[in-house]
Amino acid sequence: MQSKKIKEQIAFTIFRLLGFSVLGILFWILGFITYNGIRVISWKFIFSYPTEGMTAGGIFPAIIGTLYLIIGSILFAFPLGIMSAIYTVEYAKDNWLTKFIRIMTNNLASIPSIVFGLFGMTLFVNILGFGDSILAGSLTLGLLILPVVIRTTEEALKAVPKSYRLGSIALGANKIQTIKRVVLPAAFPNIITGLILSIGRVSGETAPILFTVAAYFLPKLPQGIFDQVMALPYHLYVLATSGTDIEASRPMAYGTALVLIVIVLIMNTLAGIVKKRFEKNK
Amino acid sequence: MKKFTDKLVEGLFKMSGAVTSIMVLLIIVFLFKEGIGLFNASTVEKGYTLFVNSNNPIEKLSPESLKKVFDGEVENWKALGGKDESIRVFRFDEIFSLYSDEELGTDYALLPQKLGEIIQSDATIIAYVPQKYKPKSTDGIKELEHIKISLNDFFLGREWLPTATPAPLFGIVPLVLGTLLVSLIAILIAIPLGVGVAIYLAKIASENVRKFLKPAIELLAGIPSVVYGFFGLVVLAPIVQKAGALSMGETAFTGSLILAIMALPTIISIAEDAMRNTPKAMQDASLALGATKWQTIHKVIIPYASSGIAAAVVLGVGRAIGETMAVLMVTGNAAVIPHSMFESVRTIPATIAAELGEAPAGGTHYQSLFLLGCVLFVITLIISIIAEVISSRKIFKE
Amino acid sequence: MKKLVLTTLTFALLVSSIYAQKIKGSDTVLPLTQAEIEAYKKEHKSATLSVTGGGSGVGISALLNGTTDIAQSSRKIKFDEKQKLAEAGKQIKEVVIAYDALSIIVHPDNKVSNLTREQLEGIFTGKITNWKEVGGEDMKIIPYSRETSSGTYEFFKESVLKNKNYMTGILSMPATGGIVQSVSQTKGAIGYVGFAYVNNKVKALHISYDKGKTYIEPSVENAKNKSYPVVRPLYYYYTNINAEGKSFIDFILSPKGQKVISDVGFITLK
Repeated sequence: MQSKKIKEQIAFTIFRLLGFSVLGILFWILGFITYNGIRVISWKFIFSYPTEGMTAGGIFPAIIGTLYLIIGSILFAFPLGIMSAIYTVEYAKDNWLTKFIRIMTNNLASIPSIVFGLFGMTLFVNILGFGDSILAGSLTLGLLILPVVIRTTEEALKAVPKSYRLGSIALGANKIQTIKRVVLPAAFPNIITGLILSIGRVSGETAPILFTVAAYFLPKLPQGIFDQVMALPYHLYVLATSGTDIEASRPMAYGTALVLIVIVLIMNTLAGIVKKRFEKNK
Repeated sequence: MKKFTDKLVEGLFKMSGAVTSIMVLLIIVFLFKEGIGLFNASTVEKGYTLFVNSNNPIEKLSPESLKKVFDGEVENWKALGGKDESIRVFRFDEIFSLYSDEELGTDYALLPQKLGEIIQSDATIIAYVPQKYKPKSTDGIKELEHIKISLNDFFLGREWLPTATPAPLFGIVPLVLGTLLVSLIAILIAIPLGVGVAIYLAKIASENVRKFLKPAIELLAGIPSVVYGFFGLVVLAPIVQKAGALSMGETAFTGSLILAIMALPTIISIAEDAMRNTPKAMQDASLALGATKWQTIHKVIIPYASSGIAAAVVLGVGRAIGETMAVLMVTGNAAVIPHSMFESVRTIPATIAAELGEAPAGGTHYQSLFLLGCVLFVITLIISIIAEVISSRKIFKE
Repeated sequence: MKKLVLTTLTFALLVSSIYAQKIKGSDTVLPLTQAEIEAYKKEHKSATLSVTGGGSGVGISALLNGTTDIAQSSRKIKFDEKQKLAEAGKQIKEVVIAYDALSIIVHPDNKVSNLTREQLEGIFTGKITNWKEVGGEDMKIIPYSRETSSGTYEFFKESVLKNKNYMTGILSMPATGGIVQSVSQTKGAIGYVGFAYVNNKVKALHISYDKGKTYIEPSVENAKNKSYPVVRPLYYYYTNINAEGKSFIDFILSPKGQKVISDVGFITLK
């Protein structure tokens, strides 16, 4: 009996250590980036252009570029993803078609991001002739987050009790009215969670934008959707690997990494808050 | 009218429902359409051809032999089954040092003729010339037979030299092995850690600790891959180099460390879910029989959740295999078959990311990168199917 | 849905009718173009130029499929690239904007300071694998190379390797900065970079092209008097550009633009 207890103690201690080692890794990475990045962060860093061959100045165009890509990809993925989810949850019967759609959505989610880049480059940049542009980049990123949007929306829709729908239909509303007035509003907070999570994803992806939109340097903000933009993740990649004096651009790289992480952090926390409020209301 | 709009909206829903499927199909079609063209292409770079003197018994040369000839590794025709004569390599550009532009005529009209004369006059020559300027008369010269790039060249080739002239080598073995090596080591590191944390979270940790740890792990999943790559480049590579007393820090192992961290959240969250789904009755029964909590975890919960854990591991591998930027930044990208994990490797995604921009659309290099995309796609597809099969087996058991 | 897409497209087209001039290509030229745009913008506030890297090959193939306006290149356009552009009905124009002395760098602790072209060829094709074979200590040589898209890669292959292929399994860095970084951290390393990239954390070798009779150090002076053997022009290629692109190129060639070139660390035209 005694030895069993001791064994348990040992095992549990190991697991506790493992659990906290993950925390350790997280703090290591975050701490390292924050410690080095915080020194360059200032209003000037956020709101000015890179100067002196990217060793000084700020990252304003990259922030704006990432913002454009977020908006662009969401404009594309959201209507499509939500409608797709409405179809599979509210309309489709449990037949081969829905099964097929579900399998395909799962597959789309498992495709590596570089493959999206390949696809985006052929279809949007070359065949449709958009060139390296916000449009091509947004569409590529939009495809990437489509599965996330569909899945979270599906879950949100499924979480709406059947009685809501039956009640609405009993009151004489038709199916579309029911969806519009009852189901969607009830599912709304969870859909927003999906939105926020995909913003986090879009702001961090590099591989899909390498060949579809990213620019090394722009002296001016983009004028239209056929312009290239700088983007935070690509800017970090560039600062970390190219430039005539990498050591001199290191501080800029740390600052960019910190801004990126802060965006993701904010998005994750926001998503958590929204979700929690939704669960409370339920 | 209302009825009509309803129908319209419904149709719209239906259409969007099909959109993901269409996209996946489109991706498959595009990747394979571009990629498959590689096997229709000649081993010699497009637009070029090879000539020898007509006295030379050689009819055709494999891409590997061509590379050796043009690199000066093979210097005698005998080694290739020809006569015992040393090889003279003639690259097209040399013509411009032999003749001035005037001698070649306007629009290089006389170029083919001059080329023909050169090849004719030297029995040991092998000349690499553009199709457009190939000699018109075949007097005393012979064009080497064109061979198509074969499945073997691609899938079993041991050298990846996509811009080698005159015959690029598209052997994906080093890339596939590199990708697998990095991913497998990553998973070996991540499994004990990930499953351990999952056990801790699911069965041992108090509610308060959970509340704290869960978001932290989600955050780990949210950090962009390029930030991981940057961290690996600046922090891990020097550590690995010093700790292992290695000659360089850009190794497969450095990549594996980064990938292990990146795969952790996937493994933890799926494995934890699997363990939480163990029926309470089973756990209670075990405890009632006098087993300790650890014995229950060890003997009841882990076996029960094993398929879920397996699925978590498989998905973790999937995530690791497809990762691009982090790996591109830390593994050194040497396209060589790895002998140990402390060597540099080049993975499939990193190859695509590094080379796609350069490859002129439609060329063999471009096609080969799409084919790599297909290979990657198929690997991840198989992995996600395996994961699905494994996790659905559990439901079957219930 | 389709209609919506089409209207947005036409709308967007109208909006972006005054589009930015895109410059794309060589990573070697990248910091130079970036600095030039910075300087140019000081005089022309409304400048809308954009610059992207990827490699010289990327730039020229982008010129071919029309996704860039100017291709920056650290090597001369290849014969077949020119042919392809001609087939597409595009007349290509070439401007030399600066010169670069390709420098061979090693770790500062490395005792070797002189190498001949033949030795370099041996190292980068994999025939020489230990520093003691070229007069250094007993240490494995770790050659770093650029990605195949790089003009530097091609120029080095042509000039130093005499068109032989690099050894298989050479470490290849996606950007030049990475080579400098890695060489400064790796004792047995050797790499080739543009002159502007050389800093005090690496050592630039003296190179001999006459089988070891004279070894020349890469420097602005030696590049200008042509005694350093591995000097190459840096090019801009374009088929048609708008007024802004033209004025930008004129700016680079002007004394002000040339000053930027020497500030960044390249060699001016005169």
